Amino acid sequence: MKKTIMATALIAATGFAGAAQADKLDDIIASGTLRCAVVLDFPPMGMRDANNEPVGFDVDYCNDLAAALGVSAEIVETPFPERIPALMSGRVDVGVASTSDTLERAKTVGFTIPYFAFEMAVTANDGAGIASYEGMKGHTVGAVAGTYEAIALEKQVQEWGEGEFRPYQTQADVFLALSQGQLDATVSTSTVAMANVKTGNFPGISVVGKAPFDTDYVALFTSRNEYGLINYLNLFVNQQIRTGRYAELYEKWVGGELPDLTVPNAYR
Amino acid sequence: MFDTALTTADLIFLAKGAGMTILVTAISVAIGTALGIAFGVIRVQFGAALTAPLTFVLDIFRSVPLLIQLVLANAFLGMVLKLQLSGFFVACMVLSLYTSAYCAEIVRGGIDAVPATTRRAARSLGMSWGQDMRYIVMPLATRVALPSWIGLALGVMKDSALVYVVQVTELLKSTQILITRLQEPLFLLMIGGAFYFLISFPLARFGGYLEKRWSND
Repeated sequence: MKKTIMATALIAATGFAGAAQADKLDDIIASGTLRCAVVLDFPPMGMRDANNEPVGFDVDYCNDLAAALGVSAEIVETPFPERIPALMSGRVDVGVASTSDTLERAKTVGFTIPYFAFEMAVTANDGAGIASYEGMKGHTVGAVAGTYEAIALEKQVQEWGEGEFRPYQTQADVFLALSQGQLDATVSTSTVAMANVKTGNFPGISVVGKAPFDTDYVALFTSRNEYGLINYLNLFVNQQIRTGRYAELYEKWVGGELPDLTVPNAYR
Repeated sequence: MFDTALTTADLIFLAKGAGMTILVTAISVAIGTALGIAFGVIRVQFGAALTAPLTFVLDIFRSVPLLIQLVLANAFLGMVLKLQLSGFFVACMVLSLYTSAYCAEIVRGGIDAVPATTRRAARSLGMSWGQDMRYIVMPLATRVALPSWIGLALGVMKDSALVYVVQVTELLKSTQILITRLQEPLFLLMIGGAFYFLISFPLARFGGYLEKRWSND
């Protein structure tokens, strides 16, 4: 008898606890503030302007998300290694931090569908007459030594059997060599390529196309058990693309050809 | 010629950070000192055995690194208690308790430094405990404790650099933000250091002045 009463009480208690527990989506709306983890030393995704205010693609994306939720946005600056710890220790609600959606990370946090993709772009010296990735065949190309794109490019040059590959120490060195004509073309992340072309420090170079290397898809993330919020975020990312806001932000911060956020022959 | 991208707006940004450092330090040292005096007096008055729990808690605040205290307090208040507190509040709270733990030791040391014979003489003259504390212990203990207290206040000001983990942009964080944007680390750290010096120096000199004024010769 006693056991039955206790069991009933326990079930009732869990029922109440379940009903009373608001999820994170409700918490954010109730608190009136959305706290986003953003990396601010990663232009053009996150950086600071001349007034030291946070700006960039990720900052705008967080502001859009807050506007959609009807709350104000709080940008919480988190260095790359601090992004997931900041979420786990409750300092932020959502990560809008150019985070690659790796399976390893997905064991800890819940990822949305990709909201941005870092593609590899070919940047060429205008005098070299290169118009595409294949156009680099037989030319002198280079990249930052040790990076993913450098390894892939060197392999490609060997495959082509003509032309030359030159490794450089820094990204700035590569663009300087390109601008000075020591190099005909390079492959780098599209954001880096556009940012360097835009600075005007390297005259006579332009981004001519995409390189068929692996694309680095990045996603928003939050606590992995917050399905309500993850659903909302997925729809939000979809709406950003649908309404053209994604294209608008891409043009504003990066420029050039819009990366495709879907993987061919896959559902998600 | 020396060339820098640092603008006047950036210097104002740094000054704002310095203002935040001063504000957090002032609040924490004020509250921490008040609490520290209370804890110190309680510890002396009620003896080691009765105040063991208090001593234990204060020892925790003294021995766990401030950075860990800040992160854990922030996580506990936000995630377990579900309180919507500003980072500034959490920073001041943790730093106050941290200050009080050290201050309690300083106060205890100061009170212990007053000769027992002097205090017994005061009570023999018919002074109450309150009068003894007010007119005998306080003036003597303050002279002993002041240098340590100044050291503590200066220490707390520099330790306040850690409150960036709860999203309070104080002087060091402001400096780091500028370093990220301008890529001139050594120059900016020198400027940040100069700001710290500008804040600390008057306090240190003020302490020296008080010590001199209160000395008996």
